[in-house]
Amino acid sequence: MEVSNIIFYLLGALILACGVLAVTSRQIFRSAIYLLFCMMSVAGLYFWMQYEFIAAVQIVVYVGGIVVLIIFSIFLTHRVGKDLAEPEFKRTLFAGLASLFAFLLFWWVIKRNEFFGEQPSGELSVRRIGEEMLNYKQGGFVLPFEVVSILLLAAMVGCIVIAMRAQTEKN
Amino acid sequence: MFIVDYIKTVYSTCKSLLSGMRLTGYYFFHHKEIITQQYPDVRLVMAERFRGEVVMTHDEKNEHRCTGCTACELACPNATIKIVTKQELQPDGKKKKALDTFVYHLELCTMCNLCIMACPTDAIKMAQTYEHSVFDRNQLTKKLNAPGSKLMEGVE
Amino acid sequence: MISIEHISQSLHEALSASLNSTLVLLIEMVIAGVLVIALFAVLGLVLVFMERKVSAYIQIRLGPNRVGYQGFAQTAADTLKLLIKEGLTPDGADKFLFNLAPLVVMVVAMLIMAPIAFTKGFQLWDINIGVLYVSAVSSISVIGILMAGWASNNKYSMLGAMRSGAQIVSYELSAGLSVITIVILVGSLSINDIIASQQNGWWIFKGHIPVMISFIIFVIAVTAETNRAPFDLAEAESELTAGFHTEYSGMRFAFFFLAEYVNIFVVCAIGATLFFGGWMPFHIGSWEAFNHVMDFIPGIVWFFGKIFSLIFLIMWFRWTFPRLRIDQLLNLEWKYLLPIAMFNLLLTTLMAITGFYFK
Repeated sequence: MEVSNIIFYLLGALILACGVLAVTSRQIFRSAIYLLFCMMSVAGLYFWMQYEFIAAVQIVVYVGGIVVLIIFSIFLTHRVGKDLAEPEFKRTLFAGLASLFAFLLFWWVIKRNEFFGEQPSGELSVRRIGEEMLNYKQGGFVLPFEVVSILLLAAMVGCIVIAMRAQTEKN
Repeated sequence: MFIVDYIKTVYSTCKSLLSGMRLTGYYFFHHKEIITQQYPDVRLVMAERFRGEVVMTHDEKNEHRCTGCTACELACPNATIKIVTKQELQPDGKKKKALDTFVYHLELCTMCNLCIMACPTDAIKMAQTYEHSVFDRNQLTKKLNAPGSKLMEGVE
Repeated sequence: MISIEHISQSLHEALSASLNSTLVLLIEMVIAGVLVIALFAVLGLVLVFMERKVSAYIQIRLGPNRVGYQGFAQTAADTLKLLIKEGLTPDGADKFLFNLAPLVVMVVAMLIMAPIAFTKGFQLWDINIGVLYVSAVSSISVIGILMAGWASNNKYSMLGAMRSGAQIVSYELSAGLSVITIVILVGSLSINDIIASQQNGWWIFKGHIPVMISFIIFVIAVTAETNRAPFDLAEAESELTAGFHTEYSGMRFAFFFLAEYVNIFVVCAIGATLFFGGWMPFHIGSWEAFNHVMDFIPGIVWFFGKIFSLIFLIMWFRWTFPRLRIDQLLNLEWKYLLPIAMFNLLLTTLMAITGFYFK
């Protein structure tokens, strides 16, 4: 076995183990940390595939942004050293069923389609990603890009509306 | 106008920050401004008016000027000084009160200078020492008159 | 002249001649790791000593001057003390995370070191998104701080960690925007391309006003990101005793301490690379004779000279300005730095399109 394969399986095992730990841990902060390691292992997988840009974006968005936000909300709502209560059996059952269903769906899709063993087009440079993002010709990504931008704008406006204090009437 | 105020704020902030940095930068490059003394190597000689501890003056013949009158003991506000006297036989056969031990508790002393002002014969004075740390409190109780010292001739 | 490039090249050839490629890679990785750790140790000693001396002279004092000549061995003595000190773990702490936090901070500091080019051909990892990689990985270090704050089971640590989180997340924005200024002008994220583009003059001179503005924003933002005064609210010894590392002692504390100084070094290295040409000597346009004289000074000297000048600047800030309050801190970022950085970005883009800069 080549070193490259060993690294792939190591990363995969890390992703799975951290994912399972994040779900099963009874201490909420530890769950967040396991989620963080899971995200970082995914970034490692991107580095392994030599998609450095995607890996860096994964770290910036998921590790630097989302996990930090999750940790912040934990800080504001939970107390140190307090374990979560054991989940109800019904919830565990349905969560298990839902993840099993998702797994089967992915399995089915992966089995139905064939994958090329080699990457279709050499190195994925930042310049090409940028050009594709603003490409309005056949196969360009300008429309999805703009739609996502509008979604984000709507989310930001929503945040401001929620956070804004209602104007008290002056009497 | 809002935008003018904004730019003014930025400008004045930068200016005040830079003036602070200019001063500290000046200190960084001008080491002559440093007034720190490297203590064990350089021992400062304190000014005349500095009150370090009470000492008794002795001249070269090992004679002091203290008559044991206890004026200083009475003047001391917190019982720092304890004078032990003895009866000494004079050459003419009369007995006379004289100083035996001048006990001085440095740990109680507040350096108020009242004892020195009370002394009628200028026997004691303030020294300019300042290294008073010791390992045991008992060492701070001092005998001020040197062993074997006598009263100076002519001091009454 | 023997250059570092030749040394690494000949080492690689010597190893490849006798061993197979996997083993060569392994040995080279070990050598690189040892070099990075050695650099860390030296940096820790030198920077702590430098900080103490700079602070002393700025405050009209003498600073450490007893251990060794002029106090040079002071930090070595302190390190020895920290090494043999007992590392306490408080009751009720989350032991696993408590022990993990200093390691996370340390590993992140090590990871950022990877794409920095010390001199021509002397770089651990020539990654084509170098600048983005650095700003991405440096955002992980906040996790270590949050982890330390939570796991200590201490209110001060928790408050310090939360402050530090809010601070780092918000200042990352303006630091990123000021970095993008240079990326726009160069047209590449690779560290080597950025250095190569400064062959005939550093960007701070070539890019005049917009680059200078972005340099100022960069310095302010990275000072905040490394949690140093006047932005040291996360530690704030007068309010929070020591913030997130209140409960840490011995070697674990030393890890936080060392990571802080290594982070300063790395951000100053990035600043030197982006604005002052990395290891590139000082060149003026077409003055052949002058440029030739400058080339005689080796690149590594230039690089470390620039880094230490920037570090001195940041230390100068620290010992001049008082600490900001949390609302002032966030005001500065969201009302001043970020709008100015965005406007500046627009200006730079216009400048890059019209070619209105020195080439």
